[in-house]
Amino acid sequence: MKKDDIKEKTLSRRNFLKTTGAAAAAAMAVGGLAIPAKNAQAAGDALPKKWDETYDVVVIGSGFAGLAAAIEAKNAGANVVVLDKMPVHGGNSIINGGDFSAPGTKMQEANGVKDSAEVMLKDMLRAGLYLNHPENAKMVAYGAKDAFEWSESYIGARYTKLNFHGGHSVKRTHGTITASGSELVNKMYAKTKDLGVKIQLRTKLVKFISNKEGRIVGLEVRKDYKFPDESTGKTAFIKAKKAVVLSSGGFSQDLRLRQIQDPRLTDKFGSTNQPGATGEALMAACIAGAMDVQMDWIQLGPWTSPDEKGFGYVPLFCEPLVGYGLMINPKTGKRFFKETGNRKERADAIIAVGEPVLIMGDSYAVPKQVVPEKLQKGMEIGAIKKFDTLEDVAKNYNIPVDVFLKEVARWNSFVEKKKDDDFGCMIFPDTKPTVVAPFYVARLWPKVHHTMGGLVIDKNAQVIGFDFKPVKGLYAAGEVTGGVHGAVRLGGVAMADCLVFGRVAGKNAADEKAWG
Amino acid sequence: MKKHPYQKMTKTLAVLFSITMVFILSQTLWAAPKLEQSKAKGGDCAACHVKAKMLPDKHADTKAMNWEACKTCHTKDNLSLIGKLPGSHRHQLAEVNCVKCHGKTKKPEALTMEQCVACHGSTAKLVEKTKDVKPTNPHTSPHYGSELDCNLCHHQHAKSENYCAQCHKFDFKTP
Ligand SMILES: Cc1cc2nc3c(=O)[nH]c(=O)nc-3n(C[C@H](O)[C@H](O)[C@H](O)COP(=O)(O)OP(=O)(O)OC[C@H]3O[C@@H](n4cnc5c(N)ncnc54)[C@H](O)[C@@H]3O)c2cc1C
Repeated sequence: MKKDDIKEKTLSRRNFLKTTGAAAAAAMAVGGLAIPAKNAQAAGDALPKKWDETYDVVVIGSGFAGLAAAIEAKNAGANVVVLDKMPVHGGNSIINGGDFSAPGTKMQEANGVKDSAEVMLKDMLRAGLYLNHPENAKMVAYGAKDAFEWSESYIGARYTKLNFHGGHSVKRTHGTITASGSELVNKMYAKTKDLGVKIQLRTKLVKFISNKEGRIVGLEVRKDYKFPDESTGKTAFIKAKKAVVLSSGGFSQDLRLRQIQDPRLTDKFGSTNQPGATGEALMAACIAGAMDVQMDWIQLGPWTSPDEKGFGYVPLFCEPLVGYGLMINPKTGKRFFKETGNRKERADAIIAVGEPVLIMGDSYAVPKQVVPEKLQKGMEIGAIKKFDTLEDVAKNYNIPVDVFLKEVARWNSFVEKKKDDDFGCMIFPDTKPTVVAPFYVARLWPKVHHTMGGLVIDKNAQVIGFDFKPVKGLYAAGEVTGGVHGAVRLGGVAMADCLVFGRVAGKNAADEKAWG
Repeated sequence: MKKHPYQKMTKTLAVLFSITMVFILSQTLWAAPKLEQSKAKGGDCAACHVKAKMLPDKHADTKAMNWEACKTCHTKDNLSLIGKLPGSHRHQLAEVNCVKCHGKTKKPEALTMEQCVACHGSTAKLVEKTKDVKPTNPHTSPHYGSELDCNLCHHQHAKSENYCAQCHKFDFKTP
């Protein structure tokens, strides 16, 4: 009720009648059909009588992609604002594991790893089942090194560890000093503020406003919005003279939308994402004419634990251990899948087992591979457990002990000869047999982690509409877009994607000609 | 074990009592205060809650009490008030009234944490103070360092919450 009052006041009624009238006339002229809502919107909204605020570039979302866009747009001379609906900045980027994949870096060289953008692209395409939009995937693979170096030299993020992620053919993932994306996103946030960009939290994008030509000219937002209470906030209209950059992240926490895309993903599956990772901004873009793609490729993380909430500590234990330790199906006492397989393969394999499986490593592999603080926290909350003998491991998880001991011995023999005859797991040069007590173990059960699908963009980060033409005035970057990763996003490639396309989006948004 | 009828009755009464309390609380406790109430003494419940009964029958008269007086019975380990009073009440009891935070205004606005820090001191000190809290220090995190807005947990005009619990299993009791 209240909402309408405000709208009534701010929107000019005459203007409203005029534009809808024009849209109806246009639709009649084309085919004489009744005019569907989408066309009505594409043909122009009632422009507000008064814009509450005006900027050249309006960025939605304060994660990696949004802040990269804001920084570049500002540095290109635009007047920029960043809006985020949450009371805190950083979205998923601030809870992220801090792993950034990029090929041909100095750190790789120092670790004797040979790599190239070409090989990274091949890995992305293979994992993505070749559903990746090749031009966009190429942008990321070939732009990752530059984006990574920018994050070090211009933003000041520090990376200290070269990690491996399943599905990559080499170690190319650079871990931040804190094993958290906050190292990068907080420094980007500080940089954005230093540059004089305004950041408004608790401001929710509700609707894109387009003019008669279908160009995006501004936004309807709710200010002082208190997530997740939809009755909160005050409507305001924000004019975007040059462009809007949509970087509102993925929709892993959007139960309704994710089940429409993949009905299996009920509330039986938890999520690693921040609670605000929902799809309303993405859908608002679709209503304004943007095309979506591959929305049903939703990634489950195969390294999450049922013994803790959200992302937790176990992924930071499991993922550095693959190729150094082994996964066991406690029902059979045997390995069941290639530990270094990609996320989809592994999550599917665990779901096929039907109950949580185990990842384990010994006292050679674990201290070497796992950040000590994360290991300790994981143990404190009981999601990672320590055992003096393999027999104790078997006892605790009800594993048939004889089979289990034989299986560990079998894995150790593969490690000795550097070849896994059973599943083709990668075994690294410094991998050693799992023999040194104590042994560390965690249970694994997948959680909804990443939405590969989203808005269609071209290599300029310009959003493409249902008429295959760019939606004027609208750019998008980061997890809200689809196509870069195809069926499977590889570890550490989201950071590369967000920075590469975020920066492109920001630059191009600032270069747009102002509409008014 | 068979229950004594008296036991049963007290149980029913207790249930009734808590239902009534929930009703009263939801009706009055979390309502935004009116400006004219800002001059009320912290212990003077009726000044704002009017006739609604806020305290148990046997509770001592609080009208003239301040926070120090509350603490004579309510200690950390006994009858703890942690999480029981909205922060604004705690403030009011220590004679920090509306104006002291919001200034003299007809339309009090939401505050930023600078306002909190101005009186309570630097967040670094706070981090030090709570460094042994289990399972983890609530005042620092890998995400926001020590700079997460105080108000996200310590609400003043609503029941405080444990913001971390959105994603973590930390069972903090938030004052
Ligand atoms: C726990 C976890 C660990 C991860 N670890 C890694 C890793 O190590 N390496 C890697 O490469 N990737 C990782 N990922 C994936 C990666 O972090 C994300 O894909 C990436 O952070 C997305 O960035 P973004 O800028 O697109 O969106 P986000 O960082 O999610 O930011 C989007 C912002 O938009 C806001 N928003 C949404 N809707 C609206 C609206 N309607 N109005 C206003 N604002 C809105 C949100 O509140 C949010 O703050 C991880 C993800 C998670 C969840």
